[in-house]
Amino acid sequence: MTDVVATNETILVVGGGISGMTAAIEAAECGKNIILLEKSPALGGRVSQLYKYFPKLCFPTCGLEINQRRMKANQRITVLTMAQVEKIEGETGNYNATVKIASRYVNENCTACGACSETVEAEIDNPFNYNMNKIKAAYLPHNMAHPQRYVIDPSIIGTADADKAKEACNYGAIDLDMQEETLNLNVGAIIWATGWKPYDAAKIQPYGYDRYDNVITSVEFERMMDKFGPTGGKLLRPSDGKEAKNIAFIQCAGSRDRNHLTHCSRICCMASLKQATYISEQYGEDAEDAKATIYYIDIRAIDRFEDFFKMVRDKKTVEFVKSKVANIVENQENGNPILHGVNTEGYHRYANEHDLVVLAIGMEPNANIGEVTSGVSTDASGFIQVHEDNGGIFGAGCASNALDVNRAVQNSTASALRAIQVVNKVSGAEA
Amino acid sequence: MADEKKLAAYICKGCGLGDRLDTPQLMTIAEREGKCQVVKEHDFLCSAEGVAMIRADIESDGVTHVAICACSRRAKVEAFNFNNVAVSRGNLREGVIWSQPDTEERREVTQEMADDYVRMACAEIKAMRVPEPNPNHGSNKRILIVGGGISGMTAALESAKAGYEVLLVEKTGVLGGWAAKLYKRVPDVEPFDGPVDTGIDALIDVVNGNSKISVHLNSTLSRTSGAPGQFSVDISQESGATITENIGAIIQASGSEVFDATKLDNLGYGKSPDVIDQVQLEELAKAANGGAIKRPSDGKEVTSVAFVQCAGQRNPFDDNMLDYCSGHCCNTAMKQAMYFKDANPEVDTNILYHDLRTPGNGEDFYRSAQQKGVTFTKGFVKDVVVNGSLNVNFKDAILDEVTSMEADLVVLATGQVPNSGVDIEAAAAPVEDEKGDEQTVAAKEEGVSVLNLTYRQGKDLPHLSHGFADSHFICFPYESRRTGIYPCGPVRRPMDISQAIEDATGAALKAIQAVENAELGRAAHPRSGDLSFPSFRKEGCTQCKRCTVECPFGAIDEDEERYPQFNEGRCRRCGTCMGACPVRVISFDNYSVETVGSQLKAVDVPDEFEEKPRVLVLACENDAYPALDMAGMNRREYSAFVRVIPVRCLGSVNTIWVSDAMNSGYDAVLLMGCKRGDEYQCHFVKGSEIAHTRMSKIGDTLEQLNLEAERVQTFEIAITDVDRVPQLIDEAVKMVDEIGMSPFKF
Amino acid sequence: MSNSNAAMVEKYRNNFLKEVEANVEEGDWVKMCMQCGVCAGSCPLGNAWDHPPQEIFMMIRAGKREDVLTSDSMWMCTSCYNCIVRCPRELPITHIMHGLANYAHRLGIAPKMNPTRRFAKIFWDNVTKTGRANELKLSISLYFMDGIVAGIKQGLEMLPMGLDMLKTKRLDPMCLISHTGIKDTKGLHAMLKKAREIEDKRKGLAS
Repeated sequence: MTDVVATNETILVVGGGISGMTAAIEAAECGKNIILLEKSPALGGRVSQLYKYFPKLCFPTCGLEINQRRMKANQRITVLTMAQVEKIEGETGNYNATVKIASRYVNENCTACGACSETVEAEIDNPFNYNMNKIKAAYLPHNMAHPQRYVIDPSIIGTADADKAKEACNYGAIDLDMQEETLNLNVGAIIWATGWKPYDAAKIQPYGYDRYDNVITSVEFERMMDKFGPTGGKLLRPSDGKEAKNIAFIQCAGSRDRNHLTHCSRICCMASLKQATYISEQYGEDAEDAKATIYYIDIRAIDRFEDFFKMVRDKKTVEFVKSKVANIVENQENGNPILHGVNTEGYHRYANEHDLVVLAIGMEPNANIGEVTSGVSTDASGFIQVHEDNGGIFGAGCASNALDVNRAVQNSTASALRAIQVVNKVSGAEA
Repeated sequence: MADEKKLAAYICKGCGLGDRLDTPQLMTIAEREGKCQVVKEHDFLCSAEGVAMIRADIESDGVTHVAICACSRRAKVEAFNFNNVAVSRGNLREGVIWSQPDTEERREVTQEMADDYVRMACAEIKAMRVPEPNPNHGSNKRILIVGGGISGMTAALESAKAGYEVLLVEKTGVLGGWAAKLYKRVPDVEPFDGPVDTGIDALIDVVNGNSKISVHLNSTLSRTSGAPGQFSVDISQESGATITENIGAIIQASGSEVFDATKLDNLGYGKSPDVIDQVQLEELAKAANGGAIKRPSDGKEVTSVAFVQCAGQRNPFDDNMLDYCSGHCCNTAMKQAMYFKDANPEVDTNILYHDLRTPGNGEDFYRSAQQKGVTFTKGFVKDVVVNGSLNVNFKDAILDEVTSMEADLVVLATGQVPNSGVDIEAAAAPVEDEKGDEQTVAAKEEGVSVLNLTYRQGKDLPHLSHGFADSHFICFPYESRRTGIYPCGPVRRPMDISQAIEDATGAALKAIQAVENAELGRAAHPRSGDLSFPSFRKEGCTQCKRCTVECPFGAIDEDEERYPQFNEGRCRRCGTCMGACPVRVISFDNYSVETVGSQLKAVDVPDEFEEKPRVLVLACENDAYPALDMAGMNRREYSAFVRVIPVRCLGSVNTIWVSDAMNSGYDAVLLMGCKRGDEYQCHFVKGSEIAHTRMSKIGDTLEQLNLEAERVQTFEIAITDVDRVPQLIDEAVKMVDEIGMSPFKF
Repeated sequence: MSNSNAAMVEKYRNNFLKEVEANVEEGDWVKMCMQCGVCAGSCPLGNAWDHPPQEIFMMIRAGKREDVLTSDSMWMCTSCYNCIVRCPRELPITHIMHGLANYAHRLGIAPKMNPTRRFAKIFWDNVTKTGRANELKLSISLYFMDGIVAGIKQGLEMLPMGLDMLKTKRLDPMCLISHTGIKDTKGLHAMLKKAREIEDKRKGLAS
């Protein structure tokens, strides 16, 4: 049984991505006790799936390393993975959260030696790579996974594979009879940092994400650049595995659109500018045949990001077309997507053939707070709004707005303080 | 404490260590060479039982120093987390058996590697002391806020709500800042259908009425000294009086100024009173108070207005203009256009923009503006001709033609200029004083200090690009280079009210965290909770001042006798001072010239006839070391001739380690730090850069020793360089093969 | 320039957008365009347009009254509705195009020789005459709209198809002589007249 101590001076943080981790660590380093829940088997969230960050072009795992080290060293933080909130009851300063913990089938004895994975034969889609490749059904989610502990996929429970895995483990870490658990946690304040999900690209019918292999989303493109990703760090297009050199980026794929997401997702312009640099990184600054074409409505390189926009704009390999692409058809002979539309700066009609199309996919909040409790204010897009009716429940990061990493961290730090205010009131520290 | 040392080494046999390595031999080494009084092996050291064994030795057997010879220091951290003992980790798993092939021919060298890592782990604890909190820590928890605008007031109120005392210093006679000058603001919650009340008067009342907040108007800081938990500030009042206060942490919410629009005479500013900036329009709107807005020149009701976006902004080609985008001006222009439309829908309002930047729910606001009849034109304004009327000449990007628009009023979106005080890096640069005009430029750059820090490295926070006092971390936006001082609001980056409120709230948390950490005498990010701090042997110090100059966080001042004064509360424990010290008098309890020096000397260097070179890697623990770990996890093989020692930051590497390594017969030394320069990835900002500079001068030392320069190499390594690091190691071994073994083997 | 057109120019001077909002079917939506151009790219007849919808919207805002109303672009719209479906701002672009065309026609400044406009006019006259479309007469009027020679030429070209349609009873030659209209044609004409009056009044076009 999972043994967790929680009181109404404890802060519950829901979501173990960059926002949740930040809120948890920052509050813990102020001396507060934290329970951090993550629904997947490892912390890190969506940023751990990014190759680089804009505008520094540095690696998200670098910050993740620091955050995980801070977390490992801090005894005030209890991390529960594979955990989801089912219900929240109560009031500011005194909540009761019902938490369901799914079976990992691997206990804390795991040393991450990998013996189980070696022996298991079954493979599953790899969620870390957006299902673009397979992994063994006994797996470590990724290189930086914290907790550094393997997972047995439920699909092999009851099969010979599972028994083999159990047999291979010298440390009694595999428990095939592990049951789902339900915990009731008494907490004083709740930070809801459940992040975002990419908008369902198939719903943008004219772009044919579900029909054309060579139309992918920006989050999938990120995985391609990772040495440990589905293409081993090469920009290989899905249809035939050829190197993609002439790549189109379509902005506002799902965003700023009353048929899809009405808000602007904020990150996509910068993400595409960043991804345009991947092309010159891969093929060189002077590559004749490598090119990024960015189809946009407005380039929202806001505030200091303008520097980054300028840097990318000055690259020979990058071209900008002010146009929302109308539709895509596929060249049957070579699988190339052909983009149709009009460059609105002076009315130039085009039918441009590219090797690969990357949809700068919109950000949909993953908040769903309404499913576990009532009375928390959300906007039309589903983001949690700052509102006094929310009591001791605070949105953080992309559950509260379409934010980039820097702003998500800023917002989570603010939310951590709001939660601290609640528990300080409970403990009387305020007086 | 040092006298009561009891060393213990624990050898793990799990994860294949027992199969691949001769663990009895490792135990013998720990005992005989490592001088450990307690040496034990265990089949599964990180198990509850294994950990209990260690814990029992600590509690009942008086063990004070523990060498865990098992997996990497990044693995099983929670299991091997023992309070009040010194712990070292011999990395036998990721660093040895996982990076070496399981073949007969590599068995011997693999064992040698493990032998050395056990020697190193034992040598390290032998040189370590158990850190105790800094006795000079401060425990003042009051928070000082500089600036009484929306950022400062928010920070004050949020800190007070968490139970902390607040001192707010505002240089003008009123609270409110720019926000108080606005007629209305852009909404930040639904519905996004028009301008809303700023709420600033209510906020001012709440701040004034809060018993935890004391407000000092007409006041500035004339002196700031000390460290988190024990800052001392002089608050100078306009009256001439000065009061001194003790505080725990500082939030700098000194805001921004508006760009000087007189530089925009091509846009008609200064030529006609009817060409104004956005701030002036707020004044007009306030005066109109919902009625028709009148133009300044003749008081006529405005019937047409043109908003020129990015005026003097997003212009990297002219030094007088701003390179950046101020972020808020698109929404502001829409809000202001709505002022006109709400008063009279017949007024023509046209916004001329380059890119309309309304992220998030700003898109709703954009639609609302259109709904009200505000028109938008993607156009590049060439000039505004004042000739009785105002003619805005622009290129219409969509219609692809140069055209013109007549308006009663032109509003320029001029942007924010941070009020970040003195640019200490520019101020520190040598000034050529032969020519009078250059002196003028220098004096202008000097500016007016906001904090007046008594710090040796300068009066204000270091600026980042464009004068913003920011950290450059994406993941850690608040980590400024002055511990306990947190900038927030538009002094940090251009921002609107909504973001400033969030930013100020976050900064309040960081200030609270700083005072809480200070009270416990422990470090802030990134070595959060670290109790060690730099101490120095005064007798040995030559007052060279390198530590005071190189400290990336400006933690070190000079005392009256010109010795370094460490201000431990400001220290981030990177060890750059230790690396800088030519006489090696600076050390931390658990990290010193000796802890690393003794490790590299503990390695058994074979004589040159054995043809087993030794390559020492000093790897940054934040990026290069994790990359090596992941190389092991993914079974990337590399030469068994390498010995890796993690360092806190490459900045902490003292050149003595390199010369010691050379003198001990190593054939090459590789220094692996993080990316430096403007887009640095060093978690200590300057550490890697300083190390690179330091190591660029090591050639002379090598020359004196008659050694080839390529035997010492410095690299920028990212945490993702999982394949590259093994390659660099192998290349170094190959290089040794080519140039020959070191002549310094015994 | 017709009288009603002169009146409009006088009334709105440079503010063509307001004129469109007041007088053009769904003209209220024009201001909501954000110039993404998805409509322009989505039009199957896009190549035939001098000014695609999004550009027309910009021209309206820029006060290019003459260029817009005399343009034949909006007459190219075939009502495929691709643009409406894809417009991120949900503008009823198809309807606006027809509205603009209709408005230009009403003002008497629509391009006289534009075939779509002429077809529309012929169709309207044809259908309103008896309340039912007379397809044979409609085809003949269409063939001969550019004169007798052109009409005969086109008629001959289409002859084989006409004969085929005759064979398969898809064409009734008797229509030329006796076309059955609706019972109350007078009532229909009265209704149309009244509708026109109401619309003109609403748009301020009544003379």
